[in-house]
This record gives sequence, C-alpha cells and structure tokens, in this order.
Amino acid sequence: MTVTTSSETHPALSDQDWGFSTIDRPPSAINPPPSRMFYVYLAAPAIALLAVITIYPFLWLIYMSFHKVGFGSSSDIFVGFENFSRLFTDTKYIEGWGLLLKYSAICLSIQVVVGVALAVVLNNSRYEKILVTLFLMPMMVSPIVAGLLFFYLYNGTFGWYHWIFQSLGFLGETSILGSTKTALYGIIIVDVWQWTPLITLITLAGLKRVPQDQLEANMVDGAGSISNFFNVSLPNIYPFLLIAILLRFMDNFRFIDAILALTGGGPANSTRLLPVYLFDVSFQFFKLGRGGAIALTLLIVTIILGLILVRVLEDPTRKKALSGDPDN
Amino acid sequence: MVAVSFKDVWKDYGSGAVAVKELNMNIKDGEFVSLLGPSGCGKSTSLRMLAGLEHISSGEIIFGDKVVNKLPPKDRDIAMVFENYALYPHKTIYENLANPLRQAKVPADEIKRRVTEAAELLEIEHLLERRPQELSGGQKQRTAIGRAIVRQPQVFLFDEPIAHLDAKLRARMRSELKHLQYKLGVTTVYVTHDQLEALTMADRIAVMNDGVLQQFDTPQQVYENPANSWVATFVGEPGMSLMEMEMTSVEGDMALAFGSETIKLDQKSAARLAAAGKINLLVGVRPDKASVSLEPLPNGIQCEIYSRQLLGADVLVEVEIGKSRVRAKADTSFGGNVGTPCHLNFLSENLYFFDAEDGKVIPQ
Ligand SMILES: Nc1ncnc2c1ncn2[C@@H]1O[C@H](COP(=O)(O)OP(=O)(O)OP(=O)(O)O)[C@@H](O)[C@H]1O
Ligand SMILES: [Mg+2]
Repeated sequence: MTVTTSSETHPALSDQDWGFSTIDRPPSAINPPPSRMFYVYLAAPAIALLAVITIYPFLWLIYMSFHKVGFGSSSDIFVGFENFSRLFTDTKYIEGWGLLLKYSAICLSIQVVVGVALAVVLNNSRYEKILVTLFLMPMMVSPIVAGLLFFYLYNGTFGWYHWIFQSLGFLGETSILGSTKTALYGIIIVDVWQWTPLITLITLAGLKRVPQDQLEANMVDGAGSISNFFNVSLPNIYPFLLIAILLRFMDNFRFIDAILALTGGGPANSTRLLPVYLFDVSFQFFKLGRGGAIALTLLIVTIILGLILVRVLEDPTRKKALSGDPDN
Repeated sequence: MVAVSFKDVWKDYGSGAVAVKELNMNIKDGEFVSLLGPSGCGKSTSLRMLAGLEHISSGEIIFGDKVVNKLPPKDRDIAMVFENYALYPHKTIYENLANPLRQAKVPADEIKRRVTEAAELLEIEHLLERRPQELSGGQKQRTAIGRAIVRQPQVFLFDEPIAHLDAKLRARMRSELKHLQYKLGVTTVYVTHDQLEALTMADRIAVMNDGVLQQFDTPQQVYENPANSWVATFVGEPGMSLMEMEMTSVEGDMALAFGSETIKLDQKSAARLAAAGKINLLVGVRPDKASVSLEPLPNGIQCEIYSRQLLGADVLVEVEIGKSRVRAKADTSFGGNVGTPCHLNFLSENLYFFDAEDGKVIPQ
C-alpha cells in the first residue's frame, strides 16, 4: 500500500491558503485538519444572529430595569435601583415567589413520580406504541388551548371534572378555580396533565438504553424487579431524568399561558405566580421599568436555582454513565 | 450443593435459529464441567438457560430434584460471570462486589469482610474505590469473578471468565478458580472455547458443535477416545489429521487402501474393523503419533511436504497425500522443506477409525 499526501493528489490545495493549516500534517491525512480561524468563520453568522435576537433584548431588559420607561413623546428617566428596592415592599411580588415555588415543587414532584412510573409500566408493554402516541397528544395542544379546555372541564355547572371532584368529596359548591384554597391545584392539574408525558417520553428513551447485561447480572445477584429498577435502571436513566427535570423546572418559571386562560391570577391573587404578576405589571399596567426589574430577578433566581438543582442531583459518577462506556 | 441436569432441552430463538438441540446432560453435585465448542455453537445459550436468563423452548432443567424451568434467576441461587463483565458503571468496585451480598441482606461488617477477602484473592484490593470504567479489561474481568465468588451459591456459571487476561494471569487464574471450586465444592459450569482451559480444569468436558452435544466425558476420554471425527479434530493442539481410506485385503490380510498405497493393519485393529464391517473410513492420526522420513520405511506412505512450522522443541510438518493433509511432529534436525518428497509413517495401532458416513467412531 502506498500512502499519498494530499499535496500529491491535489496540488491545487497546497498552492492556495484555504484557511486549512498545512504544516505538521501526518502523511496519511488526506484532509488536513482545519485551522482554528476556520471554525470562527463558520460560527460567525450564527453568533451574529444570536447577538441580535438574544443579547440585544437582554441588554435592553437591563436598561429598562434601571429606568422609568416613558411612552410616546415622554422620554425614559434613569431611576437607579429604585425599581429593585421597591420590590422588597411589594407583597404581591413576595407572595408571587412563594406561589411560584410551591407550584413548581408540586408540579415537578408529581410529574417525576407519575412520569417515571408510567414509563416503567409502558416500557416493552404490548401497547407501548399506541399508548405513547396517545400520551403525546396533551403536549401537542397549545397551552392556551389546554387552559381553555380545562376551564370548561372545571366549570361549576357543566364541567366533567368538577362533577368528578365533587362526587369524590374534594369540592364543595364552588368550582375548583373559584376558591382560593383550591385554585392553585386547579392549575397544577393542568400542568401535570400536559407535561407528565414529556417526563414519560424522556424516561422511556432512557429505559431503552439501560444495558440488558447489567439487568441480568443484577437478577443473577439475587434481585427482583423492584431492586432491578432502583439498582440498575434508575442510575442508568438518571442523566436523562435530570435533563427532563431541568426542562420542566425552567418551563414552570416561564409558561403562564394556561394560567392566564384559567384564572388570570385570581381568585384573590391565589394563583398570581410571579410570572403572572410580571405579565400584569408590564402589560396590564405598562410599568415596563418595574417589569424589567421583576424579570431580571426572576431570571437570576432561575439560573441560580437551576445550577443548584444540577449540583444537588448530579453525582459526578453519573456524568460518566451519560458519556457512555460501551464496555459497561 | 446441587446436581444439575438438562433433559431434552431445545432452544429456538425463532426465525429458524435453533441454538441448542436436544441437550441431555447430567452434571453431578460438586462437579466442574466445561462446555467446549467453537464460536456460535450454543455454549452461552446453554449457560443462560441454566441461569434462567433465557426461556427454554422445550425440555426441562433440573436442579437437584426440582424442575426450575419457571424459576427466575434470583430464586435459583446461582452466581454467574458474564462474557462482557456486565459490571455496574455507577457503582464503585467495592459496591459491585457487595451487590450480591446486599441483595441477600447480609450484615454490613460481614459484607466488608467477604468483599475484602475476594478482592485480595483477585488482587484488586487497591481498586475498590474506583469505578469500572477506570479499570483495564483484565481488572474488570477479575471484578466480575469477584462478584460471583463473594457469595456461596449452589451453582457457579462462568462464561469465558478469563478470556481477556494475559497468558500468565490466565494460567494463574486457572489454578485459582480450580482451587476455589475444589475448596467450596460448588457445582460449576464453565464455558470456554479454549480447549487448554477445558482440559486442565474440568472434571468432565461437554463438547458442543452447532447446538448439538457431541461428547460428554472426562478430559482424558475426550482426548483419547473421541466419540466422532469432529471431536477428534477439534480437541488436541494441533488437532488430529483425517484421511479417507477404504478397506481392502492384501495377500488375504485386511489392509487399508489409500490411493494407490496400502497399509497393513495390526491384528487388533483388523478385528475391530472386521466387526464394524464398514468399507469407507475416516482414519485419524495425532501429529505426535506420526512421523516423516526422507528415506522410505516399511508400511510408509509416499507424500510431499506442504508446510513446515517450528514449534520450539520440535517441528510440525504438514504433508500432502492426494487431497488429504496430515500433520506430523519431527525432530528439529529433520532436513525436508516445502516441496520435498518424503514418507509418512505411523503404527496402525495408533490410528483412530471413524465411519466415513456419519463420522462416528468405530468402537474398540
Ligand atoms: N438473542 C438471540 N437471538 C437470536 N439468535 C441468537 C441469540 N443469541 C444467540 N443466538 C444464536 O444462537 C447461536 C448460539 O449462540 P451462543 O451465544 O450460545 O454461542 P456461543 O457458543 O456462546 O459462542 P461464543 O463462543 O462466540 O460466545 C448463534 O448462532 C447465535 O447467532
Ligand atoms: Mg458465548
């Protein structure tokens, strides 16, 4: 076998500078490795686009949060940290945080437990394909439509769910959205209905990748199916589950469409989660400066909580399981 | 411990892939049995059926006096070493070894003692804090063996447990495993495609080919009295050579005709072949029972040297006679080289005779 360098086969390549580095190339490399600048050129358009569509609005958000934003002919007035300092005395803001955290914690717990359980039951079951297709449906419904759908299902005079909850003794005369005690659970049910399938799907994808030989080894070691799940399956699907949890956690902090359709924050602020309040401040009362401050705090806390979540849930060894060693 | 039997066991993977055909085998309590055969012959499948990891298409698998066909692996009280280790990547080596004991709810200090003991035996005690992906192939394999021996099960199942070790470590692990098995007295089924492992370790060897059990006997019997021509050529290194011959008679005595040559038979062999009454035979000779010479000797066969390989202490000479090739050992001083005409010599009492039609041995 003869080894030819590219300069022998393609003389044109070495004559011009194509942005490829041609020095120190092993003779066997037909295509020389591109230089670093080559990658920069390739990425430049994407970076520019990203700057325009995300970084510019983000900087604008910061600008707004330090100003009293004017409309029409009135110009913006710089107010320093006033927008922020006023938040500490804003009870709706503080209550909004409490409601948001409660809502998110309950939604996530239910979705993870139910979602994973469903995935385990579905995995390799006879009706897996058709059931997965059915489960996909709630996710495909637009959140605002989901909100409207449940608005009717919860209706105190003709809603099916209202009737069911009432028959089970959970509800009195008022509908679930009508009482400050139950409205939050009303919106939680919608989120669970719509997004548990996402956890199920991601977990199911993870379960498909659990190595059969580890399951078999564990069975030979004396494990039953429950131990097999906690001992082998769960550690193996953990990286997938972590991603699903993060996705849902961030969505809970952002998606308010269904809530707006269902309650709009009521009754008596009982479902006015922070993002709902943010919406009201910015787009009902058009206080864009304060809205910017709220948005910025929400963003920072989301990032911090997200990082903490990753830290707490991620065990360094599990990261390796994700990177995948085909031998194991 | 427990005796293990296969009774008319078939394994059909569907779509016509029959991996094991009518397997009948009785493994005695405490016996070390080796499943030997070429790749794809159904060794792992048989072992996995014993473990309960593979459904049995038909037949029965019996532990002691209990049919275990329907028992899940956890209720069979077995330990198994897998071909590809099957360690848990998310657990440390210590936790990998401890897993069978944890499943059996052994107290913590007892677990620590047993894991340390096993790790010392396998020389992996310095790796206990690591994870499988930080180990070499050989270290992984030893961990897998360790996981099998921390518990004292009824049956050990080994699927090529030392195939990935280096030659020296393999030799040591052979004697360690054999010693361990003897000491614990646990019934053991050991899958291998390495006949040296089978011959040196096993009390009895089950030779398989193409899903069919060919012979189940002691290593010595398998080597000295192969049940058929396939076992004869498979067992032994280098294997037996086969020549197609016909019965004939020379001056009233029975003889073998081989092309234009005839070979006189000793009385014992002649009587044996007369009793069998077969005309077409496969005649086998082990390389160390055949010799080559440049000068013609009485009862020798004329041939030509096909290849010559130095084995160290002696030379393996392969000669061509018609369309057959026969291997013979010769002294390093042997002068012939490829293409040299020479003579193949053997004593007829050292020959093996098989029916050319079904390959079965002609009984003594
Ligand atoms: N899950 C399966 N589905 C279908 N066919 C299979 C399956 N597992 C094994 N087989 C087939 O069954 C036959 C026996 O396989 P088995 O794994 O028992 O071989 P083996 O003797 O262990 O070989 P090796 O020495 O290569 O491990 C092979 O022909 C293989 O292709
Ligand atoms: Mg195998």
